Amino acid sequence: MSSRPDRAFVLTALICCFGVLSCSNQTEKTLRIGAIPDQNPERLNRLYGLLSTELSNQLNVPVRYKAVTNYPAAVSAFRTNSLDLVWFGGLTGVQARLQKPGAEVVAQRDIDAKFTSVFIANTKSGIKPLKSLSGLQQLNGKRFTFGSESSTSGRLMPQHFLQQAGVQMKNFSGGQPGFSGSHDATIALVQSGSYDAGALNESVWKSAQKNGRIDPAKVKVIWRTPPYADYHWLAQPNLDKKFGNGFTNKLKSTLTGLKKSSEPQEKILELFGANSFIDASQKQYITIEKIGRQLGKIQ
Amino acid sequence: MRRLLDIRGVFVHSSRGSRLNDINLSISSGERVALVGSNGSGKSSLLAVANGSLIPDSGKVLWQNYSTSNLRQRQRQKIGTLWQDLRLVEELNVAQNINSGALANRNLLWALANLLGPIELKACSECLEKVGLSTSVLSAKVSELSGGQRQRVAIARLLRQKPELILADEPLFSLDPILAEEILHLFLDNTMTSDMDEERTLLMSLHQPCFFQHFDRVIALKSGRVVFDQPANCLDEEALALIYGSA
Amino acid sequence: MRRLSPTPPILSLWPALALLPVLISIFISFHNGGATLLWEFICAAVHPSIQAEVVQSGFRGIQITLATALLSWSLSSICGICLGIASARVVWETFLGESWPAIWIRRILAIPRAIHELLWGLLLLQMVGLSPWVAIVAIVIPYTSLVARVVSDQLDTQDRRALRGLKQAGAGSSSALITALGPAMGPVLLSYIGYRLECALRGATVLGVFGLGGIGTDLQLALQSLQFNDVWTALWLLAAVMFSLEQILSLIRRYFKFSKNGIWQIFIMLIVLLILCALSIPWLNAVDINLGEPLHWSPLPLPTVDELVNAIHALPWIQLISSTMLLTVLAAGIAIGTPPLAMMLWPSRLGIAIQRIIWGLLRLIPIPLTALFLLLFSKPSLAVAALALGAHNIGVMGRLLQEGLDQQSDNNLKALSATGAGARSAWLYGCFSGQSRSYLAYAAYRMDVILRETVVVGLVGGTGLGWQLIESLGSFNWAQVSVLITVFTALTLIGESITDRLRYHWTGFTKKLPMVVDLQS
Repeated sequence: MSSRPDRAFVLTALICCFGVLSCSNQTEKTLRIGAIPDQNPERLNRLYGLLSTELSNQLNVPVRYKAVTNYPAAVSAFRTNSLDLVWFGGLTGVQARLQKPGAEVVAQRDIDAKFTSVFIANTKSGIKPLKSLSGLQQLNGKRFTFGSESSTSGRLMPQHFLQQAGVQMKNFSGGQPGFSGSHDATIALVQSGSYDAGALNESVWKSAQKNGRIDPAKVKVIWRTPPYADYHWLAQPNLDKKFGNGFTNKLKSTLTGLKKSSEPQEKILELFGANSFIDASQKQYITIEKIGRQLGKIQ
Repeated sequence: MRRLLDIRGVFVHSSRGSRLNDINLSISSGERVALVGSNGSGKSSLLAVANGSLIPDSGKVLWQNYSTSNLRQRQRQKIGTLWQDLRLVEELNVAQNINSGALANRNLLWALANLLGPIELKACSECLEKVGLSTSVLSAKVSELSGGQRQRVAIARLLRQKPELILADEPLFSLDPILAEEILHLFLDNTMTSDMDEERTLLMSLHQPCFFQHFDRVIALKSGRVVFDQPANCLDEEALALIYGSA
Repeated sequence: MRRLSPTPPILSLWPALALLPVLISIFISFHNGGATLLWEFICAAVHPSIQAEVVQSGFRGIQITLATALLSWSLSSICGICLGIASARVVWETFLGESWPAIWIRRILAIPRAIHELLWGLLLLQMVGLSPWVAIVAIVIPYTSLVARVVSDQLDTQDRRALRGLKQAGAGSSSALITALGPAMGPVLLSYIGYRLECALRGATVLGVFGLGGIGTDLQLALQSLQFNDVWTALWLLAAVMFSLEQILSLIRRYFKFSKNGIWQIFIMLIVLLILCALSIPWLNAVDINLGEPLHWSPLPLPTVDELVNAIHALPWIQLISSTMLLTVLAAGIAIGTPPLAMMLWPSRLGIAIQRIIWGLLRLIPIPLTALFLLLFSKPSLAVAALALGAHNIGVMGRLLQEGLDQQSDNNLKALSATGAGARSAWLYGCFSGQSRSYLAYAAYRMDVILRETVVVGLVGGTGLGWQLIESLGSFNWAQVSVLITVFTALTLIGESITDRLRYHWTGFTKKLPMVVDLQS
C-alpha cells in the first residue's frame, strides 16, 4: 500500500514530462495567412483549404491558414507579426496598416474597388426608397441596426452616409443603433420587423436574394451607397526578408494571376465571389481612413 | 370504536432480507398502542408503512378503508408522525417549522408567506405552550436549539397538524428518565386531543417497559413479525423475555 | 405584523420577480415576424448538416475544444486550489496569527475575475501575438480566480474547533491545517471542480477569436450566416460531449462516495488533473495546434495620463454604469429565481425531467443565439438582453440546484408529504429548503459571472459598459479600454463585498457550512 502513492507520483511525473516534451518547436518558415471569416463554415473550410494548397504550390512554401473570428483580434495578430498575409476589410486593413507601418496592400477582388452597401427597410415601417442622400433623414426616430461593430460595409460607411445626411446616432429610437453582429442577421432582424431598417454589404444581400432568403413583401432596399474600396489582402513588411527577395511581388502576381480557366483556381474565385483579384494600393483607402478618424474608429 | 388503520398481510423486503413479514393488525380510534421490539425488528418500517411514506411490497394498508398509498391531502393530514430523526427544516425558525404542520390545509401562497415572515403566530404559540416551551423561542432557528427543545418543536408541529392518529417513532429514545416521562405525558395528556374533541389514538414505539402501564395495548415485533399483541396488563416477564430475549 | 424575517428559500425565490418587468416589456413589444426563422431553426435540429466538410470540421473542432478545455480546466483547478489556500484567512491566521494578507490576496484576485476571458485573450494577444497559449491562459486566468474564491470561502467557513484542538495539542501549523480542514474539503472540491469542467468547455468556445478554431468557431460562423443546419451539427456535437462528460463525472463522484477519506480524494484529484493536463498537450498537437510555437513579445502601447483623462471625460459614465447594473440585476434575478420557481410549480418526476432537458438546452445554446431569437420576436431593449443573459444562466443555476437536490436525502420531503402538504409546498419545505443556503452561495458567485458576461450581450441593446468595451477595443482606444476595465473591476469588487456581507447576514456567520458541504452530506 505504501508504494502506491510513490508509484503514482513517478507515473504522473513521467506523463507530465511526456506532455511537456511533446510541444516541439516548428522552425520551418511557414506563410501564415489569416482572414476574418464572414461566410459559413462549410464554404470557408473549402475556400481556404483550396487557397492554401494553391499558394503553397505556386510559391513553394508551406502555408497555414488561421481563422480569426474577431476583428480587433485579427488586427492585433497582424501587429504582433503572428500572421503574414491577412484578408482584411477596409477599416480593419487601415487599422492594421497604421499599427504596422510598411505593411503592403497586395491585392483586392475586382468587386472591392467599387464596393457598395445597401440600406434596407421593413415594408411596414413606412420608410420610402430614397431619392437623394438627405432622404436618410426618414430614419430619425426609427429602430435601426448596423451589422458587426468593426465592419466597413455594415457599419463604418453606412454611419458615414447617415452622418452626411444629418442623422445623429442618438436620434434613432432607443437612443442608439443596434448591432446585429452580421450581415445575415441584419437581414433577418429587419425582415422580422424587430428593426425598421438596417444597412449591410450589398454582395451578401444579393446572395441572400439568390438563395430565396428574402421575402420582398417584408423587406426592400431603400438606398444603395456610392461606391468605396473595401476588402483587401495585406502583407507584412518583412516577407521578402523572411522568404527571400521578391516574395511579396511573387505573392501579388500569384493572387492576381488566379484565373477561371484552371479548375481549382476557378473554385477559389467562385468561393470568394469574384471574377479575379486585381492590383490594389493604399491610396484607395485614404477616404476610409479619414472617415474612420471622424467616427473615432481610428485613433 | 371506529377502525382507523388496517394493515393486512404486509411484506416489506430490503436488500438484507425482509423488514416486515406478513404483518396483520388494526388500530381503532381512541387506542393507545405501544410498539416494542429490539433494534432492527421493523418498528420504524411499520410506522412508515402506516403513514404511507413506505409502500409495502405486498399487502394492504388502509386508513379508514382507503389505501394509504393514494390518500387525499386532507386524509393524510389525519395521520401525524413524529419521526425518530424529527425531520425539522433546519433553515427555518421555530414558528415556521410549527406552521409547516398546517400545510395540508393551506395553499402555496400561504406556504410562501410563512417563509417570508411570521404568520399565524397565535396558533404557533398555543402549540408551543402545550409542549412546555416559552414563546420566546418562536423566532429562533431550530438549528440553534438543544436536542430536547428540538423534540418539543417537532411535537408542536405535530399538534399544529391536528391528526387523529399519532405515530411516534421512539420519541423517548436518549432522554433521561424524568424528561422521558414528561414527553410521554405530553403525548398522553388531554392536550393531545384535536379541537374537535375526538378521541386520541396513539401508536408509539418505545423501549421502556416501565411506561407500558400507560398504554391500552402492546404490540411486539421481532424480525419483522408480530410476536405479541395483547392488552398491556397481559405483559409479564415471560412475554418480555420472548420479545427481547435471544431467539 | 412583526418584522419580516425572510428565510433562505424565499430569498432564493424572490429574484424571480425580475421576470415580471422583463416579460411584460417583451410581451408589449412582441411581434411574430421571426416565426419562420424560428421554425427553420427548430426543423434544423432534426436535420443537422451531414455534409462531409461540415462534419469533419466539426469533429476536428470538438477535439480542439475538448483538449483545450481539459488543459485550461486542469491548470485553472490546480492554480485555483493553491491560490485559494493562499487567500484563506484561516491559513494565514494559523501561520501568522493575522489575516490581512489573505484579505489583500482576495481583493487582488477580484481583478482577474472581473474581466471576461475574451478580453483577457485580446489583451494577451496584444502582448505576445497569436499563440494557442493566449486562448488557454485567457480561460485559465478568470477561472483560477473563481476556483480560488470558492476554495478560500470553503476553508474559512469550516468549523475551526478541530483546528484549535490540534494546535493546542501541539501539532505543527501545516499538519494541523491538513488534518483539521482537509477531509471536509475533499467532497467539496470534487463537486465544484467537476462542475468547472463544463464551464471550461463552454469557455473554450472563445478560441476562435484567437485563430484556434474549435467547435465554437464553427458555431459562430454558422450563426453569423444563419446556416441553422450547420449550427445544429455543432450544437449536437457539443451536447454529446457535455452529456458524456457529465456521465463520467457522476461515475467518478459515485466511486468517491464510498471512500470517504477527503485527503485521499484531493490527492487523487490532483494527480488526475496533472495527468489530464499533460495528456491534452500531445492531443492538441495531434489536431495540429502546436503549443511549442514561440511567442512574439511586443509591448502594449500604454496610454498617457492625458489620454486617460480624455477617456474619462468622453464617456457617458452614469448611463453606461446604470444600464450595466440594471442588466446584471435583471439577468441575475432571472437566473437565480427561475429554477427553484419552476421546480416548485412543477415538482413531479416528469416535470423535473423536462426541466432538466430545458436547462441543458439553455446552457448549450450560446447567449448571442438566444439573444438573436428573442430579438426576432421583440423589439430591441434592455429586457431582451437581460432575458438572453438570464436564460443561459438559468441553465447553469438549474444544474447546480438539481445536483444539490440529487445528493440530499429525501427524508424531509417524505415527512412533509406525510403531513398531507401539497406536492408544491412539500417540495418547497422538504426539498428546496435544505439546499437553499448553498444555492444562495452559488447565486452570489454567479452574479460575478453575469456581470462579466454583459460584454457578450452588449450588442443586443448597444448599451452598457460591455458594449462600450467592445467598441473601444475595436477602435484600439487603449485609454478607454483601461478605464473601462478599471470600472468593471471596481464594480466586481463592490458587488463581491455586498454579496459576501449579505451571505453572512442571511446564513449567519456562526453556521458552519454554507454551501457545497451540505450537498454531499
